[in-house]
Amino acid sequence: MKRDRLEQLRSFWDEFRQVRFGLVGLVLLGVFIVIVAFEGKLLTYGDVNTRWRDMLYWTNSPRYAMPVWVNWFTGKDYASSAVIEPHNVVEGTEGLRSVHMEFPYEYKAGRPPRDLLLDLALTGQVALQMTIERPDGRTLSYSKQTSSSGSQQLRISIDQNLRERVYQTVASGEDPAIAASRNPKQINAVGALFAKAQPGVFSNPEVLNGTYTLTLNVTLVGPSASVDRAQVVIAGGVSGILGTDGNKRDLWSGIIAGTKWALIIGLLTSLISVAVGVVYGVTAGYFGGWIDSLMNRIYEIFVSIPLLPIMIVLSAVFKPSIWIMITMMCVFFWVGPVKTVRSIALQLKENSYIEAAHGLGATHRRILFKHMIPQLVPYAFASMALAVPGAIAYEATISLIGLGDATVVTWGQILFDAFSSGAVLQGIWWWIVPPGLAIALMGMTFAFIGFAMDTILNPKLRTR
Amino acid sequence: MEKERVLEVQDLELHYFTRKGVVQAVDKLSFFLRKGETLGVVGESGCGKTTMATALLNMPTPPGRIVGGRILLDGQDILTLSENEVRRRVRWETIAMVFQGAMNCLTPVYTIEKQMRETLQQHRAMDKKAARGRMKSYLNLVGLSDDVLRRYPHELSGGMKQRVVIATALFLEPKVIICDEPTTALDVVVQAQIINLLKDLKEQVGLSFIFITHDLSIEAEVSDRILVMYAGRIAELGTNAQIYGPQGPAHPYTQRLLGATPRLHEEVEELAFIPGTPPDLVAPPEGCRFHPRCPVLMERCAHDDVPLREIEPDHLVACWRCFDE
Amino acid sequence: MSEPILVAENLTKWFPVKRSLTQVARGERTWVRAVDGVSFSVEKGEIFGLVGESGCGKTTTGKLIMKLLDITDGKLMLQGEDVTHIRGAALSEHRRHVQMIFQDPYASMNPRFTIEDVLMEPLEIHNVGKDMAERNVWVREILEEVKLSPPEEFLARHPHMLSGGQRQRAATARTLMLNPSVIVADEPVSMIDLSTRAEILAMMKQLQREMGLTYIYITHDLSTARYFTDRLAVMYLGKIIEMGEAGTLIDGALHPYTKALIAAVCEPISGKVNRIKEVPIKGEIPAATNIPTGCRFHPRCLYSVPECWQEEEPTLDDIGSGHMVACRRHREIQELGDSARTSEASLGIRRTA
Repeated sequence: MKRDRLEQLRSFWDEFRQVRFGLVGLVLLGVFIVIVAFEGKLLTYGDVNTRWRDMLYWTNSPRYAMPVWVNWFTGKDYASSAVIEPHNVVEGTEGLRSVHMEFPYEYKAGRPPRDLLLDLALTGQVALQMTIERPDGRTLSYSKQTSSSGSQQLRISIDQNLRERVYQTVASGEDPAIAASRNPKQINAVGALFAKAQPGVFSNPEVLNGTYTLTLNVTLVGPSASVDRAQVVIAGGVSGILGTDGNKRDLWSGIIAGTKWALIIGLLTSLISVAVGVVYGVTAGYFGGWIDSLMNRIYEIFVSIPLLPIMIVLSAVFKPSIWIMITMMCVFFWVGPVKTVRSIALQLKENSYIEAAHGLGATHRRILFKHMIPQLVPYAFASMALAVPGAIAYEATISLIGLGDATVVTWGQILFDAFSSGAVLQGIWWWIVPPGLAIALMGMTFAFIGFAMDTILNPKLRTR
Repeated sequence: MEKERVLEVQDLELHYFTRKGVVQAVDKLSFFLRKGETLGVVGESGCGKTTMATALLNMPTPPGRIVGGRILLDGQDILTLSENEVRRRVRWETIAMVFQGAMNCLTPVYTIEKQMRETLQQHRAMDKKAARGRMKSYLNLVGLSDDVLRRYPHELSGGMKQRVVIATALFLEPKVIICDEPTTALDVVVQAQIINLLKDLKEQVGLSFIFITHDLSIEAEVSDRILVMYAGRIAELGTNAQIYGPQGPAHPYTQRLLGATPRLHEEVEELAFIPGTPPDLVAPPEGCRFHPRCPVLMERCAHDDVPLREIEPDHLVACWRCFDE
Repeated sequence: MSEPILVAENLTKWFPVKRSLTQVARGERTWVRAVDGVSFSVEKGEIFGLVGESGCGKTTTGKLIMKLLDITDGKLMLQGEDVTHIRGAALSEHRRHVQMIFQDPYASMNPRFTIEDVLMEPLEIHNVGKDMAERNVWVREILEEVKLSPPEEFLARHPHMLSGGQRQRAATARTLMLNPSVIVADEPVSMIDLSTRAEILAMMKQLQREMGLTYIYITHDLSTARYFTDRLAVMYLGKIIEMGEAGTLIDGALHPYTKALIAAVCEPISGKVNRIKEVPIKGEIPAATNIPTGCRFHPRCLYSVPECWQEEEPTLDDIGSGHMVACRRHREIQELGDSARTSEASLGIRRTA
């Protein structure tokens, strides 16, 4: 068996190529690896890895926004989320310092956005004067003064803060009786703002497309006052390639970022635990007698220890880290294949060729590693393939309880956030399907590769 | 007076449709079985004898399919019957089989009674008592005591298990019993027991047997007529005396097989053997299928398909060399 | 006269049977007495046959010779040395002298190995040969010896790609790799087609001549044993009950069991179809845990008399020219024939109705 290794690899590849679903598996694996390699370029929110749980990072996204491509299928499309930078910035220097900015918004969608926000970072004392001019000429005005002297963040939202103003802006277009009966604080402000000022504006708004311009005049009081950042954020009905979740997080970035962890958790855990489990099971089955009994007792101890309480204890001692989790999973998951492998070994042991090997003088080690374990490679691959999604799901469960590593994003976590927020009941399909599909695809990838390898490694399955 | 024919096979063809191609396992087989006789079918692995047996019950093993021919049982072609009809009236009722290794297929978790009764009740509406009565009488017929019913298979010896299987094949009183290697896994003393049993049954009950084996010695002691199969076809079909008598068989294959059989009471200098292996039945050789291995090959054997012809009463051979004489 | 190459003296193998708690409490122990005191010697270059039905202990004896099983009692000598209890390096050395051909040619080779792997394995285990080149040469040479030619065609194949006969040749090749002196062949041709059997046996005979091998040939088939072996030992329930030169033993069998076996064997002769086979034996084989007292064959023997079970078990009696038989009445039976019978054969049909 000391053939040229390269020759072996080449002939192996030749055979692998011929098995179609093996190639499909490899292609999928390739896709995953490419995703991990080009993660930086693919992410739309670059800091997703570190700031998944930082709610402030996501504040400018809409909640529960659908993927952008949904618009291709709907008649009335949803407004896309957008962030509008200041245009026409003019700083006035005569007398009091002031800054004038304009934020034009082209509204073309068939449905109104979820919200419109003015997002400001200011320093010092300022006086704001904001005006929104609609295409039909109606305007909404709002002013505010800040009093503190340090830096502060200010978010003015139509939906949260300006409902009464919207009411005032469009109420005249409505039937007076109805208008009078509506409570300004309870209207669908955003819908009304972006609708024609006509009867039904509060109950059944018809969109008013066109350019909406938000004009902002800031008077800076005091020498240190300044406007550090000003943005108008349109929280649309759709946002991002895969939409957003209940916490406004962009799911595309989440999924992309989660790929590498899925690969790491899945591969490492399944590889190590199955390898250990197979060797363990074969050894127990092969030797039998007291060795088998002893190994069985050890196995039973491990099986009866629940992993969860251990994880809880560990998390009290150490800061939860994904690596500790992987280590713990390996330490407890190796028991998985053991029983089956042991039975297979018990049967294999009875084969004539094992006896023949003894007769030739083979050592136990040789018989184990050259005769028995190779027979288990197909089962091992199948086990690994099945263990991958299991490991990912286990990690997600851990994360759910709060024992997860908060510094990383994983598919399992996304999925569990979805279930625990009731995404199923609310029909938030874009929160459930992508991570679920991703887990399934990764499982499928390894299953295909595993089956293909089995076809090659098991000569009896060869068709030629 | 020639006895009536209880089974007649005409031009039977069975092919296995595999991914590698169509295996012509049984190719235009024709023979008959008379009432009260034992027809021995002898051949080596891959010759098609077991395949032919499954065809006689119209249950070819998938991916096999019967693609031609007729199987006449009591004058009726069972290949034209529906599966239901075959199950109800033919299989086990008229023709039963003792499968190869059947004694090892007895379920270890049920008693003999339960297993036998299952088969019985598939075919006859019988209550437990009546069933038990019939099973007991057939167990006795094969030389087993009543309490075998209460036992589990692992409590019985190989010979006893085989007799249980034979009793199961008998208890619907079929006319023909096919035995596929019934003594192969048994010790020689037990084998003699079973052989004696079959001979006795033949005489007492008037059964007709088809006895399939690869062992020419057993055939000599069991079969009235012998059918030698090679590569899905009949090589030779003759009476016991014609095959095993002093003049010896006619077909070179049979001759070699006989020459390869060791003798207990003779000092044999050298046993014959046939170099090579049986042909691939996906692409069988042209002409006579045995010609690549034949020691007395003639020119036309490699080209012309050889028919099965009678060279003396009751003796048929498929060999060009034999026709010349 | 040169020393025999293999000597078995009272070779015994008893297997413990799992006990129930009550049995443990009572201190009882049951044993499967698979091989129960077997003695024989084999000359160099001889083909020695061990014949008997299943459960007689012939395969177990073969495994004891191979040291695949530990010997419970007795002695085993190979080439003059006591190898009964050797271990470790000495055992490894022993393996180079004694090799085995198994019954099932497919099961005896790892289906995932190529023929090359199969043949290289013994060389790797025992570190034979200076380098790969030498080993390659040796492998190809042996393949030629067993007529698997050209070797290149067979080296890359897996066992299931070979025919039964070819596989058994490959298995034989494997045994030859270490240049053994004794080969134990356990039913080597019983799973091979009739038309190929003689070829394999002829190959084995030729190898014997060329390489000076000694065979221990284990089989249940008396006819093949007569053809192939020089000397035969018939075993029953773990003991040799008759031994001698193959032809002489079969033509002039003395032990009632041997006679029964011979009577039971079928022969390819016409004229026997309508005759019931008369086999002079009764009853069934007892379990090896419950060996009958005195002569272990007595419950099935048609010639047994009270001494047979009351007295001690008869030992092998040498009656000249190497023919030995373990039966106290063999001379009487020889003289009186059937009238020495004390009971009826019961191989016929026993019917209660």
